[in-house]
Amino acid sequence: MTPRPGWWSRNWASLAAIAAMAGVWEILSFIYTAEAAPGEPMVPGWEIVFGRTLLSLADYWGGGLGVASVAEGAPPSYTAAVLAIISNSFDTIVRLYTGLIAGAAAGTALGLAVSWSPWPRRVVDSPLQFLRTLPLLAMVPLFQLWFGTEFIGKVAFVAYGIGVIFFAGVANAVRNVPQIFIDNARTFGASRATLYRTVIFPAILPELRATMLLALGTGWGAVLGAEYLGAQSGLGYMIVYSEQFAYLDRMFFVALLFVLYASVSYALFDRVSRRLLDWTAKSGQVSATL
Amino acid sequence: MGILLLLALWQALTSVVARSSLPTPLSVAIRIRQDFIHADQLSFYGLNTGLLDSMAYTATNVAAAVLMGAVVGAPLGLVTARFRLLRALVDPVLMTAGTIPIIVLAPFFLIWFGVDRISAMLLVAIFVTVILYVFAQRAADNIDPVYEESAYTLGASRARVVRDVLLPGTVPQILGGIRIALAGAWGLEAIAELMGAQYGIGKIVQLLAGATDVEGIFAALLVLGVVAVACDGLAAWVVARLAVWNQPARTGAE
Amino acid sequence: MSDVKIEASALSRSYRRADGAEVKALSAVDLRIEAGQFVCLVGPSGCGKTTLLQIIAGLVPPSGGNIVVNGQRVTAPGPSRGMVFQKDSVFPWMRVHANVEYGLSCRGVAKAERQKVAAQYLERVGLSHVAGAWPRELSGGMLKRVAVATVFANGADVLLLDEPFGALDYVTKRQLHDVLLTLWAEGEAGRRRTVVFVTHDVDEAMILADRIVVLRAGRVVDDLAVAADRPRTTDALLLPGMVRIKHILLTHLGLEAAR
Repeated sequence: MTPRPGWWSRNWASLAAIAAMAGVWEILSFIYTAEAAPGEPMVPGWEIVFGRTLLSLADYWGGGLGVASVAEGAPPSYTAAVLAIISNSFDTIVRLYTGLIAGAAAGTALGLAVSWSPWPRRVVDSPLQFLRTLPLLAMVPLFQLWFGTEFIGKVAFVAYGIGVIFFAGVANAVRNVPQIFIDNARTFGASRATLYRTVIFPAILPELRATMLLALGTGWGAVLGAEYLGAQSGLGYMIVYSEQFAYLDRMFFVALLFVLYASVSYALFDRVSRRLLDWTAKSGQVSATL
Repeated sequence: MGILLLLALWQALTSVVARSSLPTPLSVAIRIRQDFIHADQLSFYGLNTGLLDSMAYTATNVAAAVLMGAVVGAPLGLVTARFRLLRALVDPVLMTAGTIPIIVLAPFFLIWFGVDRISAMLLVAIFVTVILYVFAQRAADNIDPVYEESAYTLGASRARVVRDVLLPGTVPQILGGIRIALAGAWGLEAIAELMGAQYGIGKIVQLLAGATDVEGIFAALLVLGVVAVACDGLAAWVVARLAVWNQPARTGAE
Repeated sequence: MSDVKIEASALSRSYRRADGAEVKALSAVDLRIEAGQFVCLVGPSGCGKTTLLQIIAGLVPPSGGNIVVNGQRVTAPGPSRGMVFQKDSVFPWMRVHANVEYGLSCRGVAKAERQKVAAQYLERVGLSHVAGAWPRELSGGMLKRVAVATVFANGADVLLLDEPFGALDYVTKRQLHDVLLTLWAEGEAGRRRTVVFVTHDVDEAMILADRIVVLRAGRVVDDLAVAADRPRTTDALLLPGMVRIKHILLTHLGLEAAR
């Protein structure tokens, strides 16, 4: 991706803001030198985060690929640390996307099914509203008790959280399809199935995009929540483990990783969906800059 | 009717699934009554409280956090929608804050500010701020420029335009944002308490999860859910009354 | 008397389209409009007439040239130039009377005084009965009346109207023409407001204007005086002089071959 001319002039302020955030953090680390635990600064500066902290992440490498783990007595190395980051990130991402796909598919299918005719909607609406208000993250312990701490438990949790969002999003989007499109298709003699395929589904796609963005955020939160309470790998596990020992610098490193992954997944989705939804009007910001 | 269906489904499931992992609706209802003022099971963990007190604690935190988030987020969103430079500066900061799930952020706050009310409140407030920032900004982006142009040609100053056009024109969306933020805040507060707190519904769930007391967890979550739904209904009612001008047109006859 | 109210000299305006192409909306427009004149800007869509109006209003800065109103260079919108927009600009969050009072309240006019003025103009546009209503309860034509009352109440002596009645049905449109002309004509001859009215409707221009300025591709291509007496009845519009003007206008719009 080569920046187009003018990229700098449009984004310099945002980049400056990010740089300023990083700078403030570094300055804070000098001013505020209190420690959460002996040798663990409350505000770890960048030199610590990308030095000692990165190296210490080798603790999370379980061995293999010719790189011995710290538990086996090997000294921590950057190779082990990088491998630890990759393998734990991979675990989390696999859990996230398995759950995301399962939940999105189930939620969309159910949402379309209840929109088929008016009465199931009426029946389903209020319980759905209730399920939606039930705080997802507070239900982690329940899912753990039900599905255990294995892979399936985490995926089920993510899928549930995302399924509810998609279900609500799709049901709502179908209701918002302008009647005129439906009437128009009917006058052409479209059957109900054709109507769904050619009118309703394309018409709800833009709203599904917003739903997907919401689901991505929820999904990242859910997978970490699931890992937080019982897992032997993954970014959430790294955070729990670090928190127990007040390794604030490690938590910070994982948080950075997290911001990176989340931003990349948003940006990627944004790009792909924009291309798919080229026909929708660009919301050109015609702001009166007076 | 839908709620009855949900209850029936739940009851039916209990006959298939082991009682220890899915309690019956009736037993949960009894449990709520038992634990309402004082929960005996919690005394073992040194927590002398009941669902009512815990719910009150959680609700206070949520209310305070939503208020804080709304007061900061909404005006910031409106202002950044009209000042491009400010927006470029604030956007990345708040968007980064918005992408970090509470699970990642919470441990920092618990270490920095202690296992106390203030940590949970700040955590929830940050997320509410981001939501309202986004809602207010989007509302200001979407408001038809003709209103501002009209105000300027009538001689309005910039401050007047913000007060008389931008603010009232975006109120419906901002109120909608507050409703959404409120709905989400319950879960965030609960998880923040679950990760580290001395009181609250989340704390109860955390303790009971340790004791694999599914019935108790159900009771606590159900109370939380009912209060959340009730508050949402109340918010919807208030929203409908506040933005009078925005109600659907009745008739428009000349 | 030839008191110049609006003077545009070598006015140009270009902007960059999303695909990077440079579009010239106006190029080197010179235009003098005298006080009290009712001028219609006519031209095919995309000819730059709305841009010209927005520059006079101060909503859009010119890329080149100068625009002077009342002897002062225009740099920003202000209450000396009232504008009626194509879209509905009545604030939906204020009741009708508050909308009409808005400009006055911005200038710090006392409440009692501005209520009096607003009531007076609402009466003139025939909307006294809905002064306390919400805009959502009004029809499109009524909203336009509110917008017209608002700019007149604000007392600007230059009125800019951007295809204000384009979306209305024929009957409503004709009623609003009467409302507008009555309000415009009520000042005695020397104190009339100056009106610049953008339209693509040839008949509308002939009913309203003292002078019709034709724009095409960002340039002034014709400037016609309309001398017919007012009110312009159906018969008056059929007089030879008027028919001749109509032919010229239709030719400019590409609807008739040049003769």
